[in-house]
Amino acid sequence: MDLPFVKEALQQLFSKSSCAMYPVVPSEAAPNYRGRIVYHPDRCIGCGMCERVCSGNAITRMVEHLPEDQGDKITLTFNLGSCTFCATCADFCTTHSIEFTGDYHMVATKEEDLLVSGSFIKAPRKKPAAPAKAAAPEKAAEGCAAAEPAAEAPKPREDGKPVNDPAKCVYCTLCARKCPAGALTVDRAAKTWTLDEDKCVACGTCAEACPKNCIIL
Amino acid sequence: MFKKLIQESMGKSPWLFHINAGSCNGCDIELVSVLTPRYDAERLGFKLAGSPRHADIVVVTGPVTKQSLPRVLRAISQVPEPRCIVTMGSCPQSGNVFRGSYSVAGPLSKYVHVDVDVAGCAPKPEAVIDGLALATQILKEKRGQMK
Repeated sequence: MDLPFVKEALQQLFSKSSCAMYPVVPSEAAPNYRGRIVYHPDRCIGCGMCERVCSGNAITRMVEHLPEDQGDKITLTFNLGSCTFCATCADFCTTHSIEFTGDYHMVATKEEDLLVSGSFIKAPRKKPAAPAKAAAPEKAAEGCAAAEPAAEAPKPREDGKPVNDPAKCVYCTLCARKCPAGALTVDRAAKTWTLDEDKCVACGTCAEACPKNCIIL
Repeated sequence: MFKKLIQESMGKSPWLFHINAGSCNGCDIELVSVLTPRYDAERLGFKLAGSPRHADIVVVTGPVTKQSLPRVLRAISQVPEPRCIVTMGSCPQSGNVFRGSYSVAGPLSKYVHVDVDVAGCAPKPEAVIDGLALATQILKEKRGQMK
């Protein structure tokens, strides 16, 4: 009598199990797996870009005004129960304050357990230094409006906010469109570039968006 | 005596019923991979039931569309108590990217009590096994309260 598959059957009987024995043998996520979000509020500048690009509306930003000019307390909450784990927020974050970890154990009985939250205090702008600094971009803008050739490129500022080089600028308005805080106003007709110091969060998105590399940080 | 034996045996082998409430199929495939030989949840006693009347645990995927809502509620109402409802993925918890759509009636917690949320888009099979283990514990507690 011919016994088909006997060899195969015996081999399978004594071979190792192909099953992943998960709860007994712990399993690591693959490298670059996008799991639980870790938020670093110490690095965050509160530009709001993550909230703007989030497709699942998983990110909420709360701004609480503290008394006596102590600044604003900004709280970012990531709802993992609404997250698509696309990591677009982390890609857009200029300060790398959003991190996706390999922790996939996101099991909860309450919705609050799936919230990742962090807050930081944004210090108010120093009042005495403001007028001198505010004058700089206006001066640059005026210089261009009068069509005076700028002798040399403007120097970068100490506070990390952008300065425009009117000699290179073509007033394409890309920087104003990319600005997450709406701090830039560019007028194509009048050829002016103005920065609202109060709104600017010094994220550097404008400099990245600039096709002529004329924004200096 | 037999009653006790039945109770204990039922706790060791909860049966699953899977409802697709308008899912994109990502979570459904992950749930299938949990039940098939690679992760093999059947070695832990979980078995996919064909009818909601046989089930202990209901796994819901998808953002609960308007079309699926009456069917979902009908299927869930047919599951005998004690039952445990597990949402899989971000969609039934919040609507995810489908939130605000004219055809989405979710989240599921608006209509029924949800016991366990498994987050992820889609969750890893290991996370689903974690969620089912938690659901089994909750089921055991519920069964104890019903006595």
